[in-house]
Amino acid sequence: MIAPVRSAQQAALIGGSVLRECRRQRLALLPAAGAAAFTGGAWLLRDFNFGTTELKFLLDAGLGAQALFGAILAIVVPAQQFSAAVDGRTAPLVLARPVRREAFVAGHLGAAVVLLLGFCALLSLLLATLLWWRETGLMRAHPAAFAHGRQVPYAALGWAGLGQWLRLSVLAAVTLCFASYARTGMFATLAGFGALAACQLQHLARGHLETMASPAARLGAWLLGALVPDLHRFDLAAPTTVDGAPVAGTVLALATYAVTWVAVLGTLAACGFRHRDL
Amino acid sequence: MNAIEVTGLGKDFAAGPAGARVRALVDVTLQVREGEVVGLLGPNGSGKSTLLKLLLGLLRPTAGCCRLWGTDPREPGARAAVGYLPEAPGFPPELTGFEVVRLHARLGGISGPGLDERVGRTLADAGLAAAMHRRVGGYSQGMRRRLGIAQALVHEPRLLILDEPAAGLDPAGAEAVRALLRESRARRRTVLVSSHLPGEAAGDCDRAVLLHRGRLVREGTVDDWTRRGARSTLVVDALAPALVEELRTWLGARGATLRDAEPPGAAIERSYREAVAADPGGGDKEP
Repeated sequence: MIAPVRSAQQAALIGGSVLRECRRQRLALLPAAGAAAFTGGAWLLRDFNFGTTELKFLLDAGLGAQALFGAILAIVVPAQQFSAAVDGRTAPLVLARPVRREAFVAGHLGAAVVLLLGFCALLSLLLATLLWWRETGLMRAHPAAFAHGRQVPYAALGWAGLGQWLRLSVLAAVTLCFASYARTGMFATLAGFGALAACQLQHLARGHLETMASPAARLGAWLLGALVPDLHRFDLAAPTTVDGAPVAGTVLALATYAVTWVAVLGTLAACGFRHRDL
Repeated sequence: MNAIEVTGLGKDFAAGPAGARVRALVDVTLQVREGEVVGLLGPNGSGKSTLLKLLLGLLRPTAGCCRLWGTDPREPGARAAVGYLPEAPGFPPELTGFEVVRLHARLGGISGPGLDERVGRTLADAGLAAAMHRRVGGYSQGMRRRLGIAQALVHEPRLLILDEPAAGLDPAGAEAVRALLRESRARRRTVLVSSHLPGEAAGDCDRAVLLHRGRLVREGTVDDWTRRGARSTLVVDALAPALVEELRTWLGARGATLRDAEPPGAAIERSYREAVAADPGGGDKEP
């Protein structure tokens, strides 16, 4: 069998095993339940009868919960699972097989990405259902306010979910990169949260540096953009609620940006792990 | 052809923040021929596990090199026909024993309709027939050891690398490990087995090497080691410790030396083994 195909199959086997382990550990259950409770809790504010503004509040709360709990999942899963494999001595047993270390890293990254896809899909579906149900109730109560039909852009909600998944996948790749070098899961987890803050706020620092006249500041802005992924650009919630669905070109550019960063970070993680003594 | 070839192998580990280094292996040279069963002996911390990990590409050598059938073990292809049992095997606790061995079989390149049957058979041979569909997290230490043996054997490797295989096993389990070594020898499978208890493994080996403080200090056949040809063995039942001393004195007066006397505990162990073997319900151990 051709070596890359064999490595891809082995990565899929390792990823499948990690996913099964995550499912039985109920690792994703807590963030998913927290996000669902947060989204559902926002619905209680219907008693204030905000009219159409209530729908926007629900939308913002749902997307916010997806971002917050998704980030926890994107950091904790790769950091804990990878460190557990190395510390718990399952990694040496797997790597004593004819398995490349790159396939081992790819399996762990793939498992995190698939888990996050499930999380984002589930939360988007829950949010859409909640919004649809509430909007239907409001349409009955205030028909005049909905004279032009439904106001929530449900298709755009799907795009927002996709943007969230891409964002969280990049964050998972950043964390895995730290985990491949880190000696403890705790370090990888903390580094992941630090990276989340840096990547999310990168655009602010870059914007500030770009306004400065000095060439050093401009070089700094360029370096910041080249070395730190910009997670803020995956925020598709604004076009969802303000302008409707983002255009296909924007989504494609974002997907390319995310895939590039995941590939770069995955390669860095594999390089780090390749030279590590087990 | 040599299954294992080690030349001038050395390994240093960082020992602290000040840049101090610990020399775990120093200039080790060793060959293991195809079909040979070799015991790797040495006290704790002598570098046995380090050498085995270097042979599997899990560690990078500081000096020298090692080869499996002439190929660098860091190349995945070199490890395709190797079965490895580490000293303390780790398994994902939420998976079942069957899932673990199936995963290792598939990573070893085994697939097809007979896969599940093969995995089941290997687990049954390892004494885990009744426990194979239970979570590994609930296994006892001995059961984990048996699972480790099963995953090492599932793809019928040409080379077995066993790191302290009998550690943590009850007498029946230790006897099963010795049977595995004997069977491997009969099937001309190459085996490199480490142990810090010379009597545990060396008796079933063609050759034994001794590592001490990272250096290979002695190498030879088991006969070389024990000089059996120059020895006489007496087997006496129920000899009280006082009589052992009398016998020692008596032999000493006639120019002979009593080298070893089996302590009473060994007889207890043998009786225990016989009792367990006589129990028809024996098999899987419960945690």
